[in-house]
Amino acid sequence: MALEEIAGLKFSNGSDLFKGDRLLADDCLQASFNLQIPRFCDPVQFLKQYSEDGDSNVKIQFDHGTTTLAFKFQQGVIIAVDSRATAGQWIASQTVKKVIEINRFLLGTMAGGAADCSFWERLLAKQCRLYELRNKERISVAAASKLLANMVYGYKGMGLSMGTMICGWDKRGPGLYYVDSDGTRLANYTFSVGSGSTYAYGVLDSGYRWDLSVDEAVALGRRAIYHATHRDAYSGGVVNIYHMKETGWVKVSQDDVFDLHYKYLRKE
Amino acid sequence: MNGDADKLLAYNGGAVVAMAGKQCVALASDMRFGRDQFQTVSSQFPKLYCLGPRLYLGLTGLISDIQTVSETMQYHVNLYELNERRQVKPHVFTSMLSNHLYAKRFGPFYVESIVAGLQPKTYEPYLASLDILGGTTVSKNFSVTGTCKAQLYGMCEPLWKTDLDSMNLFEVLSQALLNAVDRDALSGWGATVCIIEPDRVTLRTLKARMD
Repeated sequence: MALEEIAGLKFSNGSDLFKGDRLLADDCLQASFNLQIPRFCDPVQFLKQYSEDGDSNVKIQFDHGTTTLAFKFQQGVIIAVDSRATAGQWIASQTVKKVIEINRFLLGTMAGGAADCSFWERLLAKQCRLYELRNKERISVAAASKLLANMVYGYKGMGLSMGTMICGWDKRGPGLYYVDSDGTRLANYTFSVGSGSTYAYGVLDSGYRWDLSVDEAVALGRRAIYHATHRDAYSGGVVNIYHMKETGWVKVSQDDVFDLHYKYLRKE
Repeated sequence: MNGDADKLLAYNGGAVVAMAGKQCVALASDMRFGRDQFQTVSSQFPKLYCLGPRLYLGLTGLISDIQTVSETMQYHVNLYELNERRQVKPHVFTSMLSNHLYAKRFGPFYVESIVAGLQPKTYEPYLASLDILGGTTVSKNFSVTGTCKAQLYGMCEPLWKTDLDSMNLFEVLSQALLNAVDRDALSGWGATVCIIEPDRVTLRTLKARMD
């Protein structure tokens, strides 16, 4: 690159990353693709001692626990998520935003480690934007989900915890992919991810049809998440619903599970 | 052994808190019955047991042991009342429970208990909490136990005042319990409050978060 020569910078291969100010600049430019991995130890072994079954008295507990779901139907994709974050049994927050707005036509959900999901999906947003600038057209859902899957595959086995659903609308119509930190990437019509997913599947599968109306689909998603929050200790808070349409995504509603419980009770 | 005790005490989840007022005492528990930490089996499992007209026992920990201990203590109280032909006093009951728990010193019941009652004749409030081995602490203000002990302490310390009457005591206790369990994944799903006064005992269920 021309600027590099004028400024007199030399890009090293990263082996002497800790020496000199000049090389901090390299760090910033490359940091997005190469996370700093300490060269003196194996991160998985190192973190194991701080996990639940580890030896250390100090336990690091990452934010976990959730229920998220998404399904395709004739009017697009419905995404429904809860909003609780737990660190062990401590409820860290009831107001977490688990739907990440990648761009106007792409949404990603967050399940597993909160930091892992939000970091990698923000990075995906950057990659999608670069694609748009280079190719003068929007990235497809298949390509976006593949980018994410390939990014995390490089860190497979290092303890990342991420189970996400990439939802969007492209030339092929509504798109829904499941991507996780093991490197799995699957396409299907319905997915539910998280500790409360089994409860959500029960409700979702019994009510799902391709030809649902928008209102019916939203009600189904809301009900499925509500039931998961009721049974799963690690899910709760509010139910956030998004609808992915041909013209982009729309945030449909936010309902507190407390109110939903008594509302459904009254209806019965 | 220590590690096991913590895991088993948190297996089913639960919370109990008691507070003393002016000539009254109130005891509250959540209603969750969880399994393997994640799953909620039932939201209709209060953890308060009535052992006398003005004597209640609140238990948290492993539900299997909660049921065993409460039933065994009911048996001991019944036998006492048949033999002595009078009601058991709260501090005497606490000693009975403490001894019963210590008898299993090397294979304990995984329960943490709170005894709440009014002394006969004077109707002064009596509050005691016991650990898994029967170690007893008598308190003047409040007692807390369960998976959200820390949150309960945090709620009780600033809210409790001396000589609260029964209505205010009910309000303070309810708010302390509801807000503490809302910060704990393993307790909640409803709440029961019991207020013990010299002439009556009132049991109320609270409208709580069910997530």
